[in-house]
Amino acid sequence: MLLELRSVSRRFGGLLAVADLSMTIVPDSIHGLIGPNGAGKSTVFNLITGVIPLTAGQILFKRERISGLRPSEICRRGVARTFQATALFREYTVLQNVLIGAHLLAAPGLAPALFWSRAYRERERRARERAHLLLESLGLGAITSQVAGQLPHRDQKALALAMALATGAELVILDEPLAGLTDQEKAETTAVLRRLREQGTTVLLVEHDMRAVMGVCDTVTVLDHGVRIAEGTPRQIQTNPAVIEAYLGAEEPGA
Amino acid sequence: MSIELLVQALLNGFGLAMVYVLVALGLTLIFSILEIINFAHGEFYMLGGYVTYYAYALFGLNYFATLALAILTVGIAGVVAERLIFHDLRGKALNAFIVSLGLLWVMQAGAQLAFGVLDKPVPSAFSGVVRLVGLVISVERLVVSLSAIVLIVALYLFLRLSRPGRAMRAVAQDPDAAALQGVNIDAVSALGFGVGCALAGGAGGLLAPVFAVSPAMGALPVVKAFIIIIVGGMGSLPGAVLGGLLLGGVEGLGALFMGSAAVSILGFAMVIVVLLVRPRGLVGGA
Amino acid sequence: MEPRQWEAATPAVGIALITLAVGALPLVTRDSYYLDVATTILMNLTLTMSFRLQVSTGQINMAHISFMGIGAYTSALLVTRVGLSFWATLWIGALVAALLAVPIGSVALRVSGPYYFLITFAFSEVVRLFFNNFFEGLFGGPSGLVGIPKPGRLFGLIFDGKLALYWLMAVIGVVVVVALVRLDYSRFGLTADAIRQADLVVETLGVNVFRFKLTTFVLGSFVAGLAGVFFVHYRQVLHSSDFGLEPMVLLVVFTVIGGTGSVWGPVVGTILMTIASELLRELHHYEILVFGAVLILTMLFAPEGLVALPAAARRVLRKLRARATEPAGVGLAP
Repeated sequence: MLLELRSVSRRFGGLLAVADLSMTIVPDSIHGLIGPNGAGKSTVFNLITGVIPLTAGQILFKRERISGLRPSEICRRGVARTFQATALFREYTVLQNVLIGAHLLAAPGLAPALFWSRAYRERERRARERAHLLLESLGLGAITSQVAGQLPHRDQKALALAMALATGAELVILDEPLAGLTDQEKAETTAVLRRLREQGTTVLLVEHDMRAVMGVCDTVTVLDHGVRIAEGTPRQIQTNPAVIEAYLGAEEPGA
Repeated sequence: MSIELLVQALLNGFGLAMVYVLVALGLTLIFSILEIINFAHGEFYMLGGYVTYYAYALFGLNYFATLALAILTVGIAGVVAERLIFHDLRGKALNAFIVSLGLLWVMQAGAQLAFGVLDKPVPSAFSGVVRLVGLVISVERLVVSLSAIVLIVALYLFLRLSRPGRAMRAVAQDPDAAALQGVNIDAVSALGFGVGCALAGGAGGLLAPVFAVSPAMGALPVVKAFIIIIVGGMGSLPGAVLGGLLLGGVEGLGALFMGSAAVSILGFAMVIVVLLVRPRGLVGGA
Repeated sequence: MEPRQWEAATPAVGIALITLAVGALPLVTRDSYYLDVATTILMNLTLTMSFRLQVSTGQINMAHISFMGIGAYTSALLVTRVGLSFWATLWIGALVAALLAVPIGSVALRVSGPYYFLITFAFSEVVRLFFNNFFEGLFGGPSGLVGIPKPGRLFGLIFDGKLALYWLMAVIGVVVVVALVRLDYSRFGLTADAIRQADLVVETLGVNVFRFKLTTFVLGSFVAGLAGVFFVHYRQVLHSSDFGLEPMVLLVVFTVIGGTGSVWGPVVGTILMTIASELLRELHHYEILVFGAVLILTMLFAPEGLVALPAAARRVLRKLRARATEPAGVGLAP
């Protein structure tokens, strides 16, 4: 078990956005989190990555408690994420964006940066190498000097993924990685996700495209109004009456 | 230390608080509509002071008519400033800060060159004191405070009931939504800036007989205004009133225990405490 | 907007130019007036560069100058009351400023944006009013301190005249510039600007943004403290207005006019504006008027600062060239 949520709740004033949620993610898998709009999926992501605090419950990563820690500390432990509205450093080049992600690998401090020691330069060189490899593998190798803010949507999504992967995380949490992509691009992205799983990275994702989710995920958890209403393989979820009910009540399933 | 002494000290502190609240309201209005902090705000206050000097002290116009004139002229000056300088700087706080600084220097140096550096005294329109239950209140300060309250109420009604006022509140809350509903953001920004400056000008006119008029007269009120809106909450009208009363009370009481120069440290200490405990201010919401 | 470059070549050229200019000045003139202006420029430069370090992470620290004052008072008192040597108090003063920066910064950094600006402004006024009104026996009250001695001997060298003091400030200044430039061109600078652009993203990528900002706050305050110690032994008088709103505002102006987006911005801004203020000094009111107009015009037409002008000019040229080479009939007539 890689990530475990135990009775996690989050309240915003009068609204219980996430209610007593328990969930486990196993290593080397692709786990999907779905549910109608407003089900609390992004809130769950923010809770896991420490962006907002829990109202109740615990979150454990590799059997150690991460709820209550700073986002940077949670990332150090091995959890990285992307954001729904693709959050990049728009004024930086593609390479510079990934170099920030490689922060943990290069492990800077004030003194090495001040004195440009040999150790510092060596670590920077290795971080650069790794960044280039990562960008190649995601199809961005040709545009490393392009300014991130001017990239087409598909490349921005790929860059966000590259940044998260550059941290060396074991668990990567992706917020709508397929949003706004063409069918071809979606197929490319899901292929990348499968490759990640093979290489030992675990993926947790939120998505609205049902077909894609069912096609790539090993396990799916369904949320509705902050409550878990089903969990299982894609096939089990697709035939679950509670799930169908939740979706018909709110929106049409499928892309 | 008798109760009487304490209450008198409080009253002295409150005495001009409402006028500083006017200045604060102008500042917070501009902040909520344009999302910038106008450091030159005190210069519009000063402008109101000079209009009062020339119209009332030299020309002999009626006191309240002069007040109206000050409010109008400074309001127009504000609209001009917004159109020429500030309207492109919506939301760009650092740049707007520098620009307003430049405007401050231009207006101050301009005033020094145009009017001379010396203080110009403005005769009081009202004299005498009122005695109530052993407490002393000067008639002038009473009139000044009441006039300020009238203006504050007028502002409140304007924002609540009039169309331009409601448009201003809409832009302050959510400019994108307001634009979608057909509100002319440019016009509202100009009007908002103008009204904000008009309030400062009115305050300058009210305090001209109390403190005399000089190019640097805007420095102190604008600092008090900043303290008031931070304590009360930026963008909040009741917050500004509450902040003003609090500041007035604290400074009034503080004057009993430390010299008046040291009293100003209390205001800043209040700011630090508020920013730590409740950064949005006592009444701050949006 | 063009991406910033983090290549090793550029800083070497810039640093060489500055070192050359600083070293060559006494060869060109020994006039005490010019040396004084140059010394002032160097002092201002250490302050603007360290201020800009914090601005690069998005913090506008209006209390920066207060740490200069803390360094100044610490050294002045240790030298006049305890008899320590300037050469010791130079470091002690800076250290005291840095130590006090830890709690003050930790508190101020709990908020951000305009609230950070306001809380640091409030802090700076508290510090100024404290030195101005309390413990008059120690700090001199509203009259300030006078009769602070120049630096004492070091290795037999005397630091009495304008030239010697210029060299001292030159060494301090160049060291500070080199250190901050190297920092900016390293991963540290890369991270700082990333924080300015999107601090939440930096945090979720594993950087403790609070600690990073605090580091820039403390480091900047250390440098400000250094400048303060030199300042008080150079001017030999100290008054709380020396680190109040007016000098702080000037710092901000020098930095912003030069351009906060580049580590060289403060260099350009400080040199030009210090010289400009000297040239206009005679015309007192007009000086302020002109300064104000310059500020307004620069912010309206060159908001990224003077240092970005070459890049802006290049952009304009590129657009003109593109339009000139357009085939006829395409697009509307100009």
